[in-house]
Amino acid sequence: MKRQRDADEIVLQPATKRTKTSRVDHLSRLSDELILRVLGALSVSQLIVCERLSRKYRSLAGDNSLWKGLYYHNFVRPRATRLRQSRDRDEVDGDRFLSSGGSRWLDDEHLVRHEGRTNWKKQFRLRQNWQKGSAVVNEIQVAEEASVPPTLVQMNDGIIYMADRTGLRAWSAKGSRKMVAQTSLEALNGSPPTTLAVGPGLDDETTTDTTAIIVGSQSGAFSVFTLDKREADLCHLCTHEPSTSGTISSAAIAWPYVVTMTATQSLSFYRFPERPRHTNNRVQPRLLHSLKSQTVYPPLSVSLRPSPSTITVCIAYTLPTYLSGWTFGLQEIRVTPGGDFLGSRTASAIDQHYRPLAFAIPPMIHHITATQGSLATATTLELRHIHSKPTTISYAHPYLLVSHPDNTLTLYLVKSNAETLHISPGSRLWGHTSSVSGAHVGGRGKAVSVSQRGDELRLWELEGGFVSSAARKRLASGDLSVQVQPSVATSTSQRPGQGDPNTLGLAMSVRSSCAREQSSSELTLTRGWIGFDEENVVVLEEQSQGRQALLVYDFT
Amino acid sequence: MSATEAEQQVKLVSSDNVEIITERKVAERSMLIKNMIEDLGAPGEEPIPIMNVSEAVLRKVLEWCSHHKNDPAPTQDDDADSRKKTTDIEDWDQKFMQVDQEMLFEIILAANYMDIKALLDVGCKTVANMIKGKSPEEIRKTFNIQNDFTPEEEEQIRRENEWAEDR
Repeated sequence: MKRQRDADEIVLQPATKRTKTSRVDHLSRLSDELILRVLGALSVSQLIVCERLSRKYRSLAGDNSLWKGLYYHNFVRPRATRLRQSRDRDEVDGDRFLSSGGSRWLDDEHLVRHEGRTNWKKQFRLRQNWQKGSAVVNEIQVAEEASVPPTLVQMNDGIIYMADRTGLRAWSAKGSRKMVAQTSLEALNGSPPTTLAVGPGLDDETTTDTTAIIVGSQSGAFSVFTLDKREADLCHLCTHEPSTSGTISSAAIAWPYVVTMTATQSLSFYRFPERPRHTNNRVQPRLLHSLKSQTVYPPLSVSLRPSPSTITVCIAYTLPTYLSGWTFGLQEIRVTPGGDFLGSRTASAIDQHYRPLAFAIPPMIHHITATQGSLATATTLELRHIHSKPTTISYAHPYLLVSHPDNTLTLYLVKSNAETLHISPGSRLWGHTSSVSGAHVGGRGKAVSVSQRGDELRLWELEGGFVSSAARKRLASGDLSVQVQPSVATSTSQRPGQGDPNTLGLAMSVRSSCAREQSSSELTLTRGWIGFDEENVVVLEEQSQGRQALLVYDFT
Repeated sequence: MSATEAEQQVKLVSSDNVEIITERKVAERSMLIKNMIEDLGAPGEEPIPIMNVSEAVLRKVLEWCSHHKNDPAPTQDDDADSRKKTTDIEDWDQKFMQVDQEMLFEIILAANYMDIKALLDVGCKTVANMIKGKSPEEIRKTFNIQNDFTPEEEEQIRRENEWAEDR
């Protein structure tokens, strides 16, 4: 054995002799701190080459401090610069940007705070995959047959919630995608669920890390649940009697407040009494306010913004204007934490769309004006595009994102402060090559949209809107979005438990890429429901024969 | 520092016991020496020992310090912006760093010991430039790094990191 090694060394000699200057490995003799300094001057692609040098360099090049620096350099700083540009114009929601400007890490502060636990390389990879749109796609079959009304899905903080006639289920969007908890919806007396909303749950010393879930039904009744993530327990808190105003079409929950909107556009605002956990009796929310609107049309989005002094109920809705089609409105109702009515105000995006030419040529007769071939025609066409009836509306303050069947999206920025409520002019977002059936915007201006056929998923970076000239340039050059390039999960064995029959028919099938291509010739439709969190995008897809499946795009 | 102080001479002693006399301003590029002078009080009289640096390296380091003696003092916040491109080495520094590997790493060690951040950065960037654009095998050859991976292990790491490759 020893002799063998000697022989090897002799063979190696001529090769090393050429670099005679140093047979010694000077680099590796440096302290780890100094080697990290050297590696710190390298780019990502060079760093991963260094990982292949030897075990020593593998651990050094994967060092958290290096990746933290790269993360900051590649994602945090460009964003800070972008925000500063929009702040310079000082036209966007000032408060929001000022507060984020205070910290150089912006919204990534939570990563810094949990320093010890943050794997910066993993975070870097996650962000880069979002940026490039590369994700692994998994499919979860949720129903073999068409369910009427369709299955409802929501996603919140890494948990996917789903409600249909069979019950309410929650499962983890991360890792093995295991079922977290499930419960029946028998309290709704068989009335099919029509809306599902998820929000922050009660949070006091006895219960932490809970999520509140509301399921509204056709009869107008609704049930409220809480999910304790640590105990994986879905607890039924209460069910409210069917109301006279009918089917609940939209709802929002932010403990202890609940808002429901019925199909007949009546809005109800409830509040739960404090600390219901200690009474074993079912608690009933108290109806604080009830409002009815004649001008609100679906699609709409109800949301709750609690703050210590005021609770803001926000309804983003579609509004028909009989001259020029559809536009969007926003109503804010402010109440005190105790439930006293403070005020209500509305804003709409209508002003910006009333251009002089729109009056000159009544949009109702587009087909006639289109033949005239004048400058006015272009404007009218544009106008007609803007006012095609939207498919979905998503509002995460200050972003209001609307998807249209004409392959585009519109982004509005909402300014809401003590004095005014104002919707900025809309910016058209181009990129899709077919009808957009759903879009969802998150708090940071990250948005995801999906085409009706489910074959085109796009990611958008909309932060700061398009007020600054730099952002306008980005808008014009069209590099705002990236299409997701899904790669199919390589082997089913990587994700244990996914085919487990115990997961209530949630068998996950992984299609090969060719199977995916074949299936695209089948009729697949997306219902327009789409959700995402830091790591995943989930799309509900309806296939032929009414089968439903969830597509999970995993960006890790 | 007054003009007279800047022109003062200080006496440095290398690890191999060679005395080198240089301008105080030049020597104070090194935070180690600067702090020592401040602590000792009377510069010029007492020789300052630079324990870990040999004469040849110390002369080289002082050559760099003398060329950069009028650079603005490093600011506290430099770290945040130190992620500049590796190619950002000024011409004089590039020529200065054209030495054999042994000297290059001695300079890095000396800069680290003597606490001359700018020189340390130049040294580390020079090494980084030697890594840039090379395959793992070429890098190992450049620095005589022992590969303790099997080909399979190395391939496994390559695949794990495929997402970060330049495409």
